[in-house]
Amino acid sequence: MSNRAILLGNEAIARGIVEAGCLVTTAYPGTPSSEILPAVAKFADELGTKTAVEWGANEKVAFEMAASASFTGIRTCAVMKQVGLNVAADPFMSAAHFDLKGGMLLVVADDPGPHSSQTEQDTRFFAMFAKVPCFDPSTAAEAKEMVFDGFDLSEKHNIITILRPSVRVDHCRQDVELKEVISIDNKMNFEKDPSRWVCLPARVRVNHPRLNAKIEAIREDFENNYSKYNYKVPAKGKAKLGIIASGVSFSIVMDILKSWGREDISVLKIGTPHPLPLKMVDEFIKRHENVVIIEETYPVVEMQILDRTKIKGRWNGYVPKAGELLPEVTEEIILKCLGEEIELGADPDLKAALEELAITPRKPMLCPGCPHRASFFSIRQALPKAVNPSDIGCYTLGVNQKGVDAVMDMGGSVTMASGFYLAHKVAGEDRPIVTTIGDSTFFHMGLPGLASAVYNKHAFVLAILDNSITAMTGGQSHPGIGTKLRKGEEGRVVEIEGACRGCGIKYIKIIKAYDIDEGKQTIKEAWEYAKENEEPAVVIFKHPCMLLRRPQEKIQVYVDPEKCIGCKFCINFFNCPGLVFDEEKKKARIDERFCVQCGVCENVCPHGAILKVEGEEA
Amino acid sequence: MQYVIVGIGGQGILFSSKVLGKVALSRNENVMGSEVHGMAQRGGSVISHFKVGDYRSPLVNSGDADVLLAFDQNEAVRNLHFLKDGGSLVVNIFDEGSFKNEHLSKYLEKHNIKVHPIMGYEILKEHMGGNFLFLNVLILGALCGAEVSDITLEDVKEAIEQLAPAKFKDANLKVVDLGFRALKN
Ligand SMILES: Cc1ncc(C[n+]2csc(CCOP(=O)(O)OP(=O)(O)O)c2C)c(N)n1
Repeated sequence: MSNRAILLGNEAIARGIVEAGCLVTTAYPGTPSSEILPAVAKFADELGTKTAVEWGANEKVAFEMAASASFTGIRTCAVMKQVGLNVAADPFMSAAHFDLKGGMLLVVADDPGPHSSQTEQDTRFFAMFAKVPCFDPSTAAEAKEMVFDGFDLSEKHNIITILRPSVRVDHCRQDVELKEVISIDNKMNFEKDPSRWVCLPARVRVNHPRLNAKIEAIREDFENNYSKYNYKVPAKGKAKLGIIASGVSFSIVMDILKSWGREDISVLKIGTPHPLPLKMVDEFIKRHENVVIIEETYPVVEMQILDRTKIKGRWNGYVPKAGELLPEVTEEIILKCLGEEIELGADPDLKAALEELAITPRKPMLCPGCPHRASFFSIRQALPKAVNPSDIGCYTLGVNQKGVDAVMDMGGSVTMASGFYLAHKVAGEDRPIVTTIGDSTFFHMGLPGLASAVYNKHAFVLAILDNSITAMTGGQSHPGIGTKLRKGEEGRVVEIEGACRGCGIKYIKIIKAYDIDEGKQTIKEAWEYAKENEEPAVVIFKHPCMLLRRPQEKIQVYVDPEKCIGCKFCINFFNCPGLVFDEEKKKARIDERFCVQCGVCENVCPHGAILKVEGEEA
Repeated sequence: MQYVIVGIGGQGILFSSKVLGKVALSRNENVMGSEVHGMAQRGGSVISHFKVGDYRSPLVNSGDADVLLAFDQNEAVRNLHFLKDGGSLVVNIFDEGSFKNEHLSKYLEKHNIKVHPIMGYEILKEHMGGNFLFLNVLILGALCGAEVSDITLEDVKEAIEQLAPAKFKDANLKVVDLGFRALKN
């Protein structure tokens, strides 16, 4: 059998985690990190390791499980996306001070762009904030290699090590080498030692200076012992430009120079951006008149350099301060630093074609047949004047159904409903509030807000959109589903309804998401109850996510052109890829390329123009 | 060889780059590619990059692609700039009229781009009862039929057999053939 395979970057990282003898791996899903944990389970099954592989209810949970397990001396790993570390920031900042026993690798995936995130933050900055080391891989194969070095470094200095793949590494596909599990003799053995494992302020006075010493020792290590990640690619002759590039930006720079066939530019690759190997970087800077730093997305390498005056980077506008450094952007940066001409702008013919054909990028939208669409339609139609906070998940796309007014972060739907309630209350205004949250997000961070709202007597309707899956991130399990990742392991289901009742909710109804009449009626009733009793009321909209492909009744519909008056109500409030507006005929019609025959739109048209296809031809 | 594959989230683009990867691996070639996961998969524009050979970066630069494989004709137009002069476009067409746009034709001619259109939806309606989930396999067949790369029908069939669930095997192989024949002249 070949020992090479084409893996997604995330699978390569997962393979590294298992090969490196990691025994506890935890995560909460989030693009671009989500594929790592399931792949850890798959490789652990294949290689027959004992690795515990678990989804935590949120990133804080996942982090704390992995960190405490490492206190016993074994190798552990927690995985999350960049904003997940915000949720886990409290234990992370605290545990960074500890003198760890087992190796702990923290994998945090960044999303420059962003493609699927609420911020564009740079985890390397977080590493700097907590004073822990960070690896920044430039390819999938390198990311896998860095997993081993991350564990070794963590054990050598008794400190958490971060691996920060960015989206292009997570979701690149590359051929990588597969190996067997290495043997390490780390024994699980928790030794009681409150001076080591209890974060009392008195300990911080000892731990903080020790942490400072560790990071300087690691800097020395990065200067001298990591030439496989930090190295120079020299120019031929005198270099017109020196580029310092971290992570995937290095790969992009190298492919650009190759396609240009240029050899008058030298490059310093940085794979360990924090703590920065300063001597190596200073020496490179000294040898060049003209130096630029290319890294994503914050100036982390740049800011660690003591004298930046002759350097081109973000501080003086040579590198954009936001957005992904795509090849086209990177080319432009390099040419600008060289003072060479930049050919800009799209081809005029292509531009004209795009304009005439009215082609724009397609925005993400809820899938055809998605139960959330029906739920939003019911909610919006029941109480059109309501304030509608929402949350993070596929249902954030409910903006297209005009059912989402404000989204901040995971769990914010419940607490924002409280905030809007208080604002209206102090102003003496009466306005319905209906907020939406997904099933995974409910367990992630919905519960504390709900307990708080019951305690403080806040009137709003919480609609829980239960599609039995964490859909946005690709279909992971969560406490409300109960399935687990390792073969043969089963978990237990935590009922959403029971959890709500436990928080003190008294009004709770479970309805079918596809049933628009019932949805409208229940939302109205729930709001009346909430207002009258000054407490949150819960409505659970249930229907499985379309990605689960559960068999369901097919109801074929058509738009009767006689009855359709072209008002676009269905487009504006239902907004389904399978239902489009024909601008020439000024009528709606079904787009059979996308329609999945869920039949919900039959109840959407106020003029009764969307009809079931009856009889044989259905 | 550099490919760019474009379409709309949900059309099964990820599977196509997996197939191309499998083919390259069986030939011992180095592979580097990039995919879209997450929010954009929900019906938005999606793009996969795929490079075979000695590359470091997973992204294809504008003007460097040899082949643009488009599951959707509008996405094809939006991403034409990736193709190098003389490159090839394999495109699923649903509205022939608009693809004859004058400016578009001029661009294609100016850059000497060879267009290989396939009426994917029509074919799947006629032969597969309108099951459009087979679009990805159809387009892969079309890629082979158009002979725009060194990937053969046998390569693709073998890779699909290894990657797709066994219960769809016969249907998949039938659809690859449909795509192949549609473009093989
Ligand atoms: C702090 C944080 N962690 C993770 C994510 C990634 N993420 C986006 S949506 C989502 C969960 C969505 O699941 P659910 O609430 O069940 O809604 P669905 O997508 O199924 O409709 C996650 C984990 C995030 N955006 N922020």
